[in-house]
Amino acid sequence: MYKVLLCLRYLQTRWLAMVCIVSVMLGVATLIVVNSVMNGFSTKLRDRLHGLLSDIVIEAYDYDGFLDPKAKMAKIMADPYLAKNIEAMAPTLEIFAMLQYAYHDVPFTRSIRLIGIDPQSRAKVGGFTEFLTQPERKITPSFELTPEAKARQAKNHVLDRKPAYFQELPSDPSAPPPPDPPPSKPHEPQGLIIGHAIAHFRDRTQGSDGQVKDIRALEPGDDVIITTVSGQKMSPVVDRFAVADYFRSEMSEYDSMYVFVPLDHLQKLRTMEDRVTSILVRLKDFDEAPKVIKRLKEILKNEPVEVQTWEQKQGALLAAIRVEKGILNILLFMIIGVAGFGILAIFTMIVAEKTKDIGILKALGASRFGVMQIFLGYGLLLGLVGCLLGTAMGLAITHNINEIESIIGSITGQELFPRDIYYFDKIPTDVHPMGVFFVNIGAVLIAVLFSLIPAFRAASLNPVRALRYE
Amino acid sequence: MSNLVELPPRQIANSLEATPLQGVSQILKKKPVVSVVGLTKAYRKHVHSIPVLHGVNLEVENGEFISLVGQSGSGKSTLLHLIGLLDSIDSGSIHFEGQRIDNLATSVRDKIRNEAFGFVFQFYHLLPELTALENVLLPLMIAKGPLKWLFSRSKALAQAKALLDRVGLGHRMDHKPRELSGGEMQRTALARALISKPRLLLADEPTGNLDDESGAEVIRLLRTLNREEGLTILMVTHNLEITRDTDRIVRLSKGLVVDEEVQPEA
Ligand SMILES: Nc1ncnc2c1ncn2[C@@H]1O[C@H](COP(=O)(O)OP(=O)(O)O)[C@@H](O)[C@H]1O
Ligand SMILES: [Mg+2]
Repeated sequence: MYKVLLCLRYLQTRWLAMVCIVSVMLGVATLIVVNSVMNGFSTKLRDRLHGLLSDIVIEAYDYDGFLDPKAKMAKIMADPYLAKNIEAMAPTLEIFAMLQYAYHDVPFTRSIRLIGIDPQSRAKVGGFTEFLTQPERKITPSFELTPEAKARQAKNHVLDRKPAYFQELPSDPSAPPPPDPPPSKPHEPQGLIIGHAIAHFRDRTQGSDGQVKDIRALEPGDDVIITTVSGQKMSPVVDRFAVADYFRSEMSEYDSMYVFVPLDHLQKLRTMEDRVTSILVRLKDFDEAPKVIKRLKEILKNEPVEVQTWEQKQGALLAAIRVEKGILNILLFMIIGVAGFGILAIFTMIVAEKTKDIGILKALGASRFGVMQIFLGYGLLLGLVGCLLGTAMGLAITHNINEIESIIGSITGQELFPRDIYYFDKIPTDVHPMGVFFVNIGAVLIAVLFSLIPAFRAASLNPVRALRYE
Repeated sequence: MSNLVELPPRQIANSLEATPLQGVSQILKKKPVVSVVGLTKAYRKHVHSIPVLHGVNLEVENGEFISLVGQSGSGKSTLLHLIGLLDSIDSGSIHFEGQRIDNLATSVRDKIRNEAFGFVFQFYHLLPELTALENVLLPLMIAKGPLKWLFSRSKALAQAKALLDRVGLGHRMDHKPRELSGGEMQRTALARALISKPRLLLADEPTGNLDDESGAEVIRLLRTLNREEGLTILMVTHNLEITRDTDRIVRLSKGLVVDEEVQPEA
């Protein structure tokens, strides 16, 4: 009983103990905040990736794709188990391509991923319509230009403002004037949906408030030229498109790469009949994925296709996040280790200071183990109090992390969380109760472990030495 | 000594719960409580050995009040600590109530210190973080686990309060040691030594740090305890005045008992 009493009294009267508590507290708080942000980051990233990637992807081994996706889908739906579990499927044709446009008569060229889709079926698979920017298109996805876009398209061509690099060489003045071109039938370009980051520049110089602004380089209705390769022969093919809408998923990797065009248009352009490179599959319940994959593989075993879940497709990125989190945790536990050394130092001091008390306790019949328990209990108590405060602090910081970030950002003038480097416009957080629990257990263990040595020393003190002098 | 009038029926209680041997000693009153034979002790400092006790023989009889005197450095404290099982002996033996105790296991020695011995030191040695009352309760808390303590708490509290009342500190129970005078601290320490009803009180210069008045108060208390409850006391002192109140004076010189004189009955 005296052990508990003394622990509490030592806690109340030693302000040095506060230092231990604070160091444990800071360690625990840091671990909780960092883990929550990392979890938030990976959860959000997974959600985003999953949202963009459909549950399962049936993918051809090469760019040439495979023939007749309709027949394949029919074959898949003929299976009762699959028919029961598959919510929707969408054939897509993906190919690398080059996109060119002119902004203020300056040519820009981007490398992109050109994706041919059927908007209706693609919408059913998910991860598409919700990222379109025009509200009406979110309801009925299409590649149609809006009337305003059409007007702009017409205006661009009435003025015939060809980009400078399309202008013909200055003609020989001595040559006879070229004949008037025949009045061409106004060519309506195909609409496309372009990744937000392709169509916008980010401007950092503007605005003293540190806000970054997006400058739109391509308005709806503006022309873009896309160059890609035809089917088997791989010869270049070119077409002119007009921007119909933007795709903005906040995943910069996607927003800066993806350009969507109608599937049939792309098939025609690439002269590849009814070929597609992949079929996206959405399940009713993602937990069924392993079984569905197994079944799909059986059905498609003679086809040159690979069947993967979105997780398998993004395996490298997800694994990288996991590894990063593991390493961070090890490093951060070292912070608590440092707190542990603080406890060691301070406890050693307290034991030295309490030599007399230890002698008295022993004279009064306290056992070695009893004396040891006082200091172990003390360590436990410091650890517990530190953990409690640290958890409270960590959760509070996690909860208000965006506000804190903006305050620190405005004080230092340095953006802590550059929105365009990361995939998110807010710092995502996700508190895992189990994680918090383990952090606490770990911290308490470290506190007790580091108080073991001083406690042992206290227990082996010779009482006479302590009692002889004042 | 108005505050010493109401005494608990200690002798009766003792004879009921004590070992048969002690029961006999209670009647005979001349059986040794402590007997020390050929005790030697040297302190080792690196390779040097500093001999302190060179074969001390001493018998303390039940109910005796002994003063242990001698020059500073003659080994009085050392002897007291050895008898009190606070340190280990080099050779010889120590018997307590007929049983050899110097070679017992640590846990048993801890238990004997807690239950059978009471200690009073020159520098009081109270725990500064605890109040007077808590200091007095400490031996009982040490003796009992948390559960047992909870059950016996109220009884222990009453006991401790009664003891503090007896030493004249009933009104200072909740004070920390630093808020008490030297005499008050020493009386608190005395109450702490008495709470577990010890069979032997070991006092190392209990008045060494006190003014005459406070010292006399402490000695009066010891004398009364010895007379009225038959408490056996072994006390180290420098003060010749004080030795006059005791039954026997044992003189220690250069690590040996050189002289024992029995005081005429006061
Ligand atoms: N831990 C120790 N190491 C070395 N010498 C010691 C130690 N403790 C006591 N001594 C020596 O032992 C002798 C006896 O000390 P002590 O028993 O305190 O004498 P007293 O109480 O009679 O003054 C002294 O000379 C002292 O210096
Ligand atoms: Mg001494």
